[in-house]
Amino acid sequence: MTALPRRIIKETQRLMQEPVPGISAVPDDSNARYFHVIVTGPEDSPFEGGLFKLELFLPEDYPMSAPKVRFITKIYHPNIDRLGRICLDILKDKWSPALQIRTVLLSIQALLSAPNPDDPLANDVAELWKVNEAEAIRNAKEWTRRYAMDN
Amino acid sequence: MSGEEYDSDMDYSEEDCGYADYYNTEEDCDIDQIDPSKTDPEYFVFDCLSVEEVERLLNESVESLSNSLQITPSLAKVLLHAHNWLISEIVSKYRSDSSHLLVISKIKPPHPPEPSILQLGRLQSCPVCLASQSSDKFKSLACGHPFCKECWSMHFEVQITQGVSTGIGCMAQECEVLAPEDFVLNSLSRPALRDKYQQFAFRDYVRSHPHLRFCPGPNCQVVVRAKEPQAKRVICNVCRAIFCFRCGTDYHAPTDCSTIKKWLTKCADDSETANYISAHTKDCPRCHICIEKNGGCNHMQCYNCKHDFCWMCLGDWKSHGSEYYECSRYKENPNIAHESVHAQAREALKKYLHYYERWENHSKSLKLEEQTLLKIKTRINKKVMDSSGTWIDWQYLLDATSLLAKCRYTLQYTYPYAYYMEAGPRKELFEYQQAQLEAEIENLSWKIERAETTDRGDLENQMDIAEKRRATLLKDFLENWPILSSSKRKTFF
Repeated sequence: MTALPRRIIKETQRLMQEPVPGISAVPDDSNARYFHVIVTGPEDSPFEGGLFKLELFLPEDYPMSAPKVRFITKIYHPNIDRLGRICLDILKDKWSPALQIRTVLLSIQALLSAPNPDDPLANDVAELWKVNEAEAIRNAKEWTRRYAMDN
Repeated sequence: MSGEEYDSDMDYSEEDCGYADYYNTEEDCDIDQIDPSKTDPEYFVFDCLSVEEVERLLNESVESLSNSLQITPSLAKVLLHAHNWLISEIVSKYRSDSSHLLVISKIKPPHPPEPSILQLGRLQSCPVCLASQSSDKFKSLACGHPFCKECWSMHFEVQITQGVSTGIGCMAQECEVLAPEDFVLNSLSRPALRDKYQQFAFRDYVRSHPHLRFCPGPNCQVVVRAKEPQAKRVICNVCRAIFCFRCGTDYHAPTDCSTIKKWLTKCADDSETANYISAHTKDCPRCHICIEKNGGCNHMQCYNCKHDFCWMCLGDWKSHGSEYYECSRYKENPNIAHESVHAQAREALKKYLHYYERWENHSKSLKLEEQTLLKIKTRINKKVMDSSGTWIDWQYLLDATSLLAKCRYTLQYTYPYAYYMEAGPRKELFEYQQAQLEAEIENLSWKIERAETTDRGDLENQMDIAEKRRATLLKDFLENWPILSSSKRKTFF
């Protein structure tokens, strides 16, 4: 296996030394490119109080290519599908090598505070979010309670 | 030259003209002097160019722009690619507001960069690899975002491997400034990668050029050039592919590019159902024997009971042959607005199937017509061997078959057009002409399949009628045709 690039080593060190509030990202013992991530649900969002597990993988050509991120904990959100895949521009066409693991995770946390049903990944969720936001938020809270608490 | 002759002809009286024609049948005939751009709705001038010729052509534009604006060829390429190679437009925009042009072309950032924090000889950290290096190891685009040279070349390598070339931009977040060709090439060390970049860039340039189009034929390297990006028929002179110059798909007159795209998408979605509903065989409407279609002609004669009927509507052929051929026209249910949603959906499906079946049927007929051609070829050989006429004597049959294919092709593409047409007098006229064309095509097909018993004059007459019907329909309904003919006329006088 090739040596880990300085960029990944430095980013990992900083994530450990100055963690982002509400986010923890720990590299796997056997693979320094694979991170176990936990994001806490933002305040005043239907995900408040939940702890959401994600996995983050840095591909071979990182940071020239975006990291691959996926929710492991089930979540009711218009931009996240049943498999936990996330619809977020900076993970796709708006990726810039100047972005970092920390900025990516902050953007994902911000996505939880501000769902965007007009650019959906999970169509049924987005549909309900648009026609009956109150019910959608009730569902999101229910899912958070059921899947993202006390585990 | 032809104009002069035309004028001198005008001096003769009618009789003189006829007399002169007797001796000079080729050149002096009035018909030959009509400009094909005015009479032939499918007339289109184009060239088939090689990659080298296109490169030369593009380089001429690049050179011309870089000379008139005093900019590098590399920047000229970015401008040309961003503005569809319209040199005069770029020059005038540059003269009126160069800064705005450079911003919208993504050569310059919308706001001038902050004064560079680069200081010679000082150590600096690259935002991408986080390594500290002396500042002479850094490079930036017009936006001033500094990154180390190694990261730039890594960035380009990854982008090129993903097929990106002219679209490669700055690495900074939310910065849209593009990397010009010289910047990219200077950062690449591997020759293979440089070649790849240039190949992809060439592809992007051709695609952005309104007068150029890659031939869609498999593995064909030809680039077609035409003066105007019109939806006209192009035939590649290398691989013989026939396609529409504007959209690159199969030629589709009289249907326009966006309609044919919509239609093909719809058919791709719905064809399974349609295939299921319209079986490949039909029963004879009189004796109910099962019939498989084995030729292109829709005028069927049952082998069993000799009943003549139309394959399409299963009606008696007599009603088609006479004055008015109505089988191609879809009759909408007039009370549909008051029916239930379910009935409306059924009606919509029925309408779609009506057009789809005809579209599909003519496409199949076209394929079957190829078999007819093979049969005709063997028949001609047999005739020649039996000394009934020479090979040349029978060539008109091949002409007739290729004309039939051409007519049927156009007829096939009239169905998507009619499907999307709004009901009204124009649609009625279209469907009337379509029916006329269809009737003549079926006549022609019938006569070709029975060529031995059909008189040659009769067949050639039928060919003429069918082609005239086709040309009339195209002339009346081909998109932009009336506008185009008037503008062309202006340039000719």
